[in-house]
Amino acid sequence: MKKQEGLIRSVLYKNLMEDYTPFPLDKKLAVKWAAGLNVPRGGRVIIYTSYMYQMASVFKSYEKYVPTLGSLGKSRILASIGSRFIKPSDEDVERSMKILQNIYRMVSRVKADVGYLYEEEPYSGSLLYELGFLDEFKEYGRKVLQFFREKGVEEIITVDPHTTNTLANLKKYINFDIPFRNYISMIGTVKGSGKFVMHDSCLYSRFLDMYDTVRDKAKSAGIELVEDPTVTGKGVGFCCGGPVGPLNDELSNNIARARAAALKSVYENVLVACPLCYVNLEPYCNVRDLAEVID
Amino acid sequence: MNWVEMISMVSAGNYNEVESILREYPYIVELADHLREQKMKVIENLGTYVDITMRNVEKLGGHAYLAKNKDDARKIAGEIVGENKTVVFSKTNAAYEVGLREYLESRHNEVWETDLGEYLVQISKGWPTHIVAPALDMTREDAAKAVRKIDPSINENSKVEDIVAAVRKFLMTKYVKADVGITGANAVAADSGAIALVENEGNIRIDTVMPQVHISITGIDKIVPTLRDAMDEVMVQAAYAGIYPPTYINVTAGPSSTADIELKRVSPATGPKDFHLILLDDGRMDASQNPDLKEALLCIKCGRCYFSCPIYRILGKDWVSTKSPYNGPTGVMWNYITNKDPWPASYCVHSGGCKEVCPMKINIPEVIKYIKYMGSKNL
Repeated sequence: MKKQEGLIRSVLYKNLMEDYTPFPLDKKLAVKWAAGLNVPRGGRVIIYTSYMYQMASVFKSYEKYVPTLGSLGKSRILASIGSRFIKPSDEDVERSMKILQNIYRMVSRVKADVGYLYEEEPYSGSLLYELGFLDEFKEYGRKVLQFFREKGVEEIITVDPHTTNTLANLKKYINFDIPFRNYISMIGTVKGSGKFVMHDSCLYSRFLDMYDTVRDKAKSAGIELVEDPTVTGKGVGFCCGGPVGPLNDELSNNIARARAAALKSVYENVLVACPLCYVNLEPYCNVRDLAEVID
Repeated sequence: MNWVEMISMVSAGNYNEVESILREYPYIVELADHLREQKMKVIENLGTYVDITMRNVEKLGGHAYLAKNKDDARKIAGEIVGENKTVVFSKTNAAYEVGLREYLESRHNEVWETDLGEYLVQISKGWPTHIVAPALDMTREDAAKAVRKIDPSINENSKVEDIVAAVRKFLMTKYVKADVGITGANAVAADSGAIALVENEGNIRIDTVMPQVHISITGIDKIVPTLRDAMDEVMVQAAYAGIYPPTYINVTAGPSSTADIELKRVSPATGPKDFHLILLDDGRMDASQNPDLKEALLCIKCGRCYFSCPIYRILGKDWVSTKSPYNGPTGVMWNYITNKDPWPASYCVHSGGCKEVCPMKINIPEVIKYIKYMGSKNL
């Protein structure tokens, strides 16, 4: 495990410092969602995807890819080859596009002229923070902050819990002073339907104080949530297994399997609000993202 | 039933039980909040509180020792116990931490765990699965198989009651000839030198009064300012462990004593003639001076955080245990404090459930983040 951690740190750090991405990725795929909506390039207020929805399945399998990524070295040609085979399936790309487009539409109803950095968008550095590489996290965070400043960004709208939590920690550690908000906290009246058991994002629920925010948004949209305090209570919301995936895929899957079993004991359809929760739980239960069931 | 299914069921049961206790006895939450403040006072000034505690133990006619590390603790206890004695242990994590049972056995002493769960672990040559329920991973059949070693009438069809009775019968033969009783302490009152212990089985009560020598070994983190705080700690611990009211709360302040003749307090009386308190440092003092780590010392070892933790609920004792008696989220912190081992922290998925259920409101994920960071410096 120690070896794996060391390898991840060097691969992550190298990729981030050189290219603002955690691994060589196909940016054309990642930004495709914005094309049909004529989202302005850049701007004072931006929507910040941090590639989380687009690359969720790759993040999940990071453990598998790390040895390959480590062997790619610094060659840009090799990195380019890497980006071609390390990519999500067409189905995953299609799904992430719909989610991001829906989030953008909901955000646009309450905020005008929200831009996007397209291929220039930097990854937030979540993985560095979550794996405890705090020195590298702070160093990369300063680079990201500088980049946003150079682009004239004055306000950030996040779309997932990991990026939101990362910005909160950058604020704490390096005084990241660009205001940010999560889309769920800012969208207005939305409509939705369906009956679900909620699997909370650990970060929204227990680190960003959004346990009620997410529920209230879903319920006010018309979604019925089935609760069982021993499964969906704030203190016992468990985890999808995602964060340990980079170190141990089997352990990650075992957590997901156990969580899915508990959720299914409450109700057959599961609702999440995080791209990593989705990819981890999806093999074991019927799961939808909040942004797939409200609009 | 496999481990994951069993721990899921137990965790849901613990959740319901604790929630019900907190509804029925709402003062517990107030006690917990006050206790946090009192424990923090000690952590901020741990050296002074150790001195006060030791002085007050001696004032009562007891003997107090400060063991700097595991080796020190083993030597102190070994000298008090001597050789060829019968020793009864109540469940004590500090003793596990220093490897005391094995050490005393190596000195030709007959040593028996008297907490049922710990006894099952001992005769199975296992390792505790949970800080409050050490044999949590054993089914009735597993327990029966283990107890059959000391009572051939027990078999896989035996009822739980029969298994418990068989252990009781066996341990009674050890209690009556025990020379030394060794316990931990849920709390140590600095103002009086008294220790408080909470239990349900009655074994601690016997361990602390029947043998003529009582040794309590516990961490310096268990020191609280007053005896009132010590009583608060045992009540809070019991409530958050899910058994309230506890069947027994024991206070020991020095060796047995009586003031029945002319109101003059003399020792010993019926109970132990000697009381020894071994206060264990083993990394705790350093932790108290580390702003990123000191909150861990607030832990009252109720074990509730284990149940909220996804990694513990999958890996069980394969996560931290066998390196440390402390497992689960608090075990990651305590394994680092006492063994300087950061690696179990790497598996933390920062679910955050631990901090939500902690009665001491310890920001466990933040402490673990620091430990992860310390580990990453050695990659």
